[in-house]
Amino acid sequence: MGSGRWSTDVYAAAEHYRAATGQSAFAYSDGGAREVHPDLDPHGVFMRECRDSDEHPESTPIVVMFDVTGSMRHVPRVLQARLPQLLGLLTRQGRVTDPQIMFGAIGDATCDRVPLQVGQFESDNRMDEDLSKIVLEGGGGGGKRESYELAMYFLARHVVTDSMVRRQRKGFLFLIGDEMPYDRVEPGQVGKVIGDDLRQAIPTRDLLAELRRKFEVFFILPTAASNGGDQQVLRAWRDLLGQHVLELDDLDEVCETIARQVTTDSPSTPQLSLTTRRL
Amino acid sequence: MEHVAVVDLGYGDAGKGTVVDALCGRRAVRAVLRFNGGAQAAHNVVTDDGRHHTFSQFGSGTLRGVPTHLTRFMIVDPLALAAEAAALGNPFHLLTVDGDALLATPWHRAANQRRERSDRHGSCGMGVGETVAYALSSPEAPRVADVLAPARLRRRLALLRDAYELHDIPLDAVVDAFTAFGRTVRIVDDRHTDRLLAEGPCVFEGAQGVLLDEWRGWHPHTTWSTTTFDNVTRLCSSFRRLGVVRTYTTRHGAGPFVTEDATLRLPEAHNGHGAWQGPFRTGHFDAVAHRYAVTVAGGVDELAVTHLDVPGREPGLRICTSYRGADRIVPGAHRDLAHQAALTSWLFRAEPAGLHRPGDWAGAIGELLGAPVTLESYGPRAADKRFAVRGGHPMLSRSA
Repeated sequence: MGSGRWSTDVYAAAEHYRAATGQSAFAYSDGGAREVHPDLDPHGVFMRECRDSDEHPESTPIVVMFDVTGSMRHVPRVLQARLPQLLGLLTRQGRVTDPQIMFGAIGDATCDRVPLQVGQFESDNRMDEDLSKIVLEGGGGGGKRESYELAMYFLARHVVTDSMVRRQRKGFLFLIGDEMPYDRVEPGQVGKVIGDDLRQAIPTRDLLAELRRKFEVFFILPTAASNGGDQQVLRAWRDLLGQHVLELDDLDEVCETIARQVTTDSPSTPQLSLTTRRL
Repeated sequence: MEHVAVVDLGYGDAGKGTVVDALCGRRAVRAVLRFNGGAQAAHNVVTDDGRHHTFSQFGSGTLRGVPTHLTRFMIVDPLALAAEAAALGNPFHLLTVDGDALLATPWHRAANQRRERSDRHGSCGMGVGETVAYALSSPEAPRVADVLAPARLRRRLALLRDAYELHDIPLDAVVDAFTAFGRTVRIVDDRHTDRLLAEGPCVFEGAQGVLLDEWRGWHPHTTWSTTTFDNVTRLCSSFRRLGVVRTYTTRHGAGPFVTEDATLRLPEAHNGHGAWQGPFRTGHFDAVAHRYAVTVAGGVDELAVTHLDVPGREPGLRICTSYRGADRIVPGAHRDLAHQAALTSWLFRAEPAGLHRPGDWAGAIGELLGAPVTLESYGPRAADKRFAVRGGHPMLSRSA
């Protein structure tokens, strides 16, 4: 018997657990992994599903995919530390019903070993596990381009959401990066990375039109990345996405930035704030 | 498979930790299972090489590498668990937690302490009682499995915060710490207990004491916990019942204590004045109260008597076999709190009558409580234990 003789300080407890687990947030990557984790491998995936359930009757799909190539510097690690708070923020804010979040990572299919990694739609901390399995590529292609279009192809053709099927409501996709997509989805890359037999290349603009029937698509350019503030990159994305291009000055605000764009009501125009500037 | 359940027949502090440790040192034990109470437990174990730990949520077999399982009856406090684990070198590989167990939170703790300030009845200030009380009133009480579903966890913690109107505790920080707990600790379902019981002999480690039982103790000076063998019977079909008593009676905090004697010089190594529980009180061995405990616990198969080294150092120590005008405390029907409250007021007025000093303390106590003493303890370490030569229990009998 007796009474509590062990500290119940909430911050110390969180630190203790993190220290005990002894894992960097990118445990898989930091463990030397250079292959896509089987859980995140898009190859042969028929559909990633965002389904309603008794507990989450009106699921809202939210996808966050970030560039993990070298030009992003330390940004992926900061994102990884911040993004687990996204679900809580969305839930607290209450502007969106039953958020389900899927994380993914974008590399370069022309030269990287891990050009595309996709988790599952989760509404609990398994999404953190998905984050921890992401391989930080650190390479990337030249010419300020990465394979964003390959990620968008996967999301357009290999994701099914009850929110669209049952309620004709779009989900939300946030691409976080600092480079431009290639102009076309290449059949060779689609075959190798995803496993689809694509007859001919698809212009990125056409693919986006297909994707935007399912998702509100946003591009977020962190100032802290190598090409932060790069006008060529911003122009290219603005040309594709119009107002849905945001600059992020303070990485710590990534969840707030995403949360501001997400609402189950009518699609909104981006909100101005100290950390996001409309272009 | 012979399992043992260790229950304190007094007001807690009899030495369950040291007994569980000795059992774990005697033969291979598959796991130590906690089945009541929460982080307010403080079970002291001192290893033969002098290492000391006060076990709170980890089982008292941890220093011997015996796994701990926190069953669904346990009130789990992730914050206190983190600090305790750190002190033990983070033996999380030795820990499993049932997802159905209730979570004690900072809101429960704050409410508990707020209440204790206005009505001192001897609680520990850890929020265990508050956790149970809230769970009785709300199906949304946070449970261990919620830490694997942060959205649900947050919703339930927010409900809790609003129910208690305690808004200065940082919700985000608690969610963060609890989900970190969920990533670190193995959370299992109710099949895990059966698996452990099938795989090898287990020890059920009780918390607190039968005389503090929520239904059988001196109401309202009780704990929000079933301290008898009742929860064990719901987890396990067959086990030996081991009751633990000291050679003298002790209690923390307010409440009747018939044999209390402030003149006894009984220094206490690990039990001091609890900030929320009040002082640590000592008195003569109250055979009347401990006999009542044996009865309401449903009987015991054997006894462990601790602090057998003390009577030799304190010549004034006696055994009390009757109160003035009564030699027994009459049990009421189960869950009859009116009866328990009547006992409380009667016990506040009761005075010890029959006091004597036996030659053989262990033998006398076994005789008075009607069960063989199979484990005698003369000090805090396992080396200070003596197992009886003739105990029917393989875990307790001396190996040839």
